[in-house]
Amino acid sequence: MALSIPCDLCGHRPFTEFAFGGEWRELDASDTEEEFAREYLPDNPEGPQRERWFHAMGCRTWTTVTRDTRTNEIG
Amino acid sequence: MGSFEFEGRSVTFRPGDTVASALYRHGVRTFSRSLKYHRRRGLYCGTGDCPNCSMTVDGQPAVRTCTVRCAEGMRVERAGGWPNAERDLLHVTDRLHRVMPVGFYYKTFVRPRFAWAVAERVIRRAAGLGALPPTASAARKVVRHVHVDTLVIGAGLAGLEATREAAASGSVLVCDEGLAARSVAPGSAPDPIEELRTAVASLEHVTLLDEATALGVYEWLHVPLARAGELVHVYPSRVVVATGATEEHGVFPGNDLPGVMLGRAAAALAGPHGVRPGDRAVVVVRTEEGVQHLQTLIDAGVEVVATAVSPALVQRVPEGAGEIVAGGDVHEARGGSSLRSVVLRREGLGKRFECDLLVLSLGLVPRDGLARMALPGEDVTVVGDAALGVGIAEPGGLDGMVCMCEDVSMHDLEQAWDEGFRNAEILKRYTTTTMGPCQGAMCGRALSCFAASRDATPAPSPVAPRTTARPPARPVTLETLAAGVHEIVDRRTSLNELHVAAGARLDRSGGWLRPFSYGDWREEYRAVRERVSLMDVGTLGKFAIAGPGAGDLVDRLFPCRIDDLEPGRTRYVLTLDDAGYAMDDGLLSRVGAEEWFLTTTSGGAGRADARLRNLADRLGLDAHVLDRTAQWGAINVAGPLARDLLERLADDSIDAASVPYPGFADLSVAGVPCRAIRTGFVGELAFELHHPRRRGPELWAALADAGRDWDLMPHGLDALELLRLEKGHVYIGQDTMPDDTPAKLGMPWAVDMSKRWFVGKRALERMGELPMARRHVGLEFSGGPRATADLRGEPLLVEGQVVGRITSAERSIVLDRPIGLGWIRAVDGGFPDRLRTGSGATASVVTTPFYDPDGGRMRG
Repeated sequence: MALSIPCDLCGHRPFTEFAFGGEWRELDASDTEEEFAREYLPDNPEGPQRERWFHAMGCRTWTTVTRDTRTNEIG
Repeated sequence: MGSFEFEGRSVTFRPGDTVASALYRHGVRTFSRSLKYHRRRGLYCGTGDCPNCSMTVDGQPAVRTCTVRCAEGMRVERAGGWPNAERDLLHVTDRLHRVMPVGFYYKTFVRPRFAWAVAERVIRRAAGLGALPPTASAARKVVRHVHVDTLVIGAGLAGLEATREAAASGSVLVCDEGLAARSVAPGSAPDPIEELRTAVASLEHVTLLDEATALGVYEWLHVPLARAGELVHVYPSRVVVATGATEEHGVFPGNDLPGVMLGRAAAALAGPHGVRPGDRAVVVVRTEEGVQHLQTLIDAGVEVVATAVSPALVQRVPEGAGEIVAGGDVHEARGGSSLRSVVLRREGLGKRFECDLLVLSLGLVPRDGLARMALPGEDVTVVGDAALGVGIAEPGGLDGMVCMCEDVSMHDLEQAWDEGFRNAEILKRYTTTTMGPCQGAMCGRALSCFAASRDATPAPSPVAPRTTARPPARPVTLETLAAGVHEIVDRRTSLNELHVAAGARLDRSGGWLRPFSYGDWREEYRAVRERVSLMDVGTLGKFAIAGPGAGDLVDRLFPCRIDDLEPGRTRYVLTLDDAGYAMDDGLLSRVGAEEWFLTTTSGGAGRADARLRNLADRLGLDAHVLDRTAQWGAINVAGPLARDLLERLADDSIDAASVPYPGFADLSVAGVPCRAIRTGFVGELAFELHHPRRRGPELWAALADAGRDWDLMPHGLDALELLRLEKGHVYIGQDTMPDDTPAKLGMPWAVDMSKRWFVGKRALERMGELPMARRHVGLEFSGGPRATADLRGEPLLVEGQVVGRITSAERSIVLDRPIGLGWIRAVDGGFPDRLRTGSGATASVVTTPFYDPDGGRMRG
């Protein structure tokens, strides 16, 4: 069974409709060092990860989901 | 009875024959030459698992002929071998083991450097499994997607039983490779598989798919099935692997001689196909199935001179099995072009038997590659023989071919082990054992046993270490991989029919069908430089960005200063990714206080849309992005007479104050509402007229009509190539590398590092502290090839070392000399300004633009 991603507009859709957008990262930080770390040093966790998906073959909105990188379960 | 052509001869076949069985009846014994040493290989497994019977069938190379039914008029030939597979002079490589040891490509031909260039050409010609026909067009395959509850791979007894079970609780798709799996149990009537098949096929919710090869089990349970005319992507909730087992591959000296055969191959020949596989046979029986095979051979009239049998099966050996060697084993096989004798060994004592056939029924090895591709936690079950374990057995310790696809012998494994590759997984990578077309079906077990027996640390594990199974499980053709590509729809602008009517040469570019030339591109070029010309640029990405947060959005996305852009003005923008690399470029126009209009490159529109929406969402900005790429068309009106042309049609003023450079104005041209953006890409006075798509043909016709007395003609991408090259404008993607920063591109002016934040800024800050290692340059050539365009792609050299590459080249018409763009690396801390090109021309680094450096012409 294909992984399904909950889209804010369309509900659960097969992941093949989406483009993966990587780990969620905050953009603004108090200083540039922290900002740099947020942008370029991802956590790459083995476990739950907040990440971005783009409904490229659908409504073309972005959504943020928490996916367990070991089991692909979406929390 | 029918016939097919085999290397110029006619071969007759009987109903039910495979290509391999018909050839065997015809007297063919050498079925192929091995990849590396050009050793003769005969029919071996008979079940589609080994590489030995691979031939070129109707132009398709590497077809396992034991799995293909004969058809009238087929053309079959053996690949490999020079001058042919029967008399192969390249067999001399078999005497050259010393220069081609295991992993020879890591060791030999390293010095002197030129040696590899020569050797590579020789090796390429000598090795390989046949040549692709360069002119034949591939058969088009369609793609189908199937969602199903259970997918059963393999329609043998176990698979059909599993299908029956699964059909009770949902939909089932059961697929089978066809032939190979069912040619096994000879003589048993009625065939239990056929009976069960009929019963299962009548069940509701069951679909049988024949001659479908499962290529792999991918993540999320996705199984692609290759068939003759289609590629079927199956998305099941559950997979049952019932792919059965192969017979164990015997490893002993001489094990790859023609005449050495696995039990199923011999029994299939002697039974269903009615071909005597040999006259005098030695048989090794260690399985129940082997006893049946032995009986089949005796019934077919094969004289069995000796049978080595495991002690448990001694009582079961039928009459006529020759000398019984209980507990015996094959010590070696000898012969020249085919098998002549076999030495059987028992308790250290050997005995030689003259024979022309050695039949091996050594045991079963699960055909479980597909099952092992599944990830932990995925619902994949293995049933039947595919679920058998792989026990450890001490390898004989003698030589013999372990991997028949890649010619790896036991001796090679020993040597690799001694060199320190002491683990099944790295032995595999170093020796390429299990990496050939058979994907370990033959050699996988032998490799595992070898590694397990050598590994003294700490206690030998009870199961043999298996190497990772990866797709594809079976050889896959390029046309299968290309399935569905012809279904891609080319996008067309609303002007497409006009281009076709004008005789334009249309081709694909960035997902669109676009005119490259309408005849003579140099004439089109002159029209732009000297008069006025039109170009269909409706393919550009076009976005309306609006809302209270729109200004913040564009300010944060683009690296240049945005806040000083007044309404009615336009600015060139680069788009960077997080790493500071140039991804795309375009023009940003400010329409109003909270409204912007962005054009991007034709190929970059999809990514631009995703990037804008992502950033707006992440920043929580109240900004809306409307993709107008499909709704709006655009025509670029370019040339010194562009303004004069528009004056004939526009209701509004289009002088330099009304439509300034760089800027835009909304106006009406020939009654069509247009957003006219001043552009500089071709280096002349130019107006890009964005308009509602439907009205494109009307606008184009009006413009063409109004310019008739100036001999107006449209220009295509061929003319544009030189027009923009003379201005030194890069095509992102063609002229750039994936890691080009604005500084490397010579465009530091496109970045304002004093801005608080933009995408890629932190990366540019860090990279700015490093010395620049590479940059883009303008080039002028002398002494080059007659067609300057041929320089494109050539390396740039300094003192024989490659330091760069030419990315664009053409003879400038206006300057009448060859020019180009390229990139060069720093040499000793500085950038060279004179280089040689690969073909011996001289390249000098010059500043760009080549044409109209102060931009007076485009400012108009």
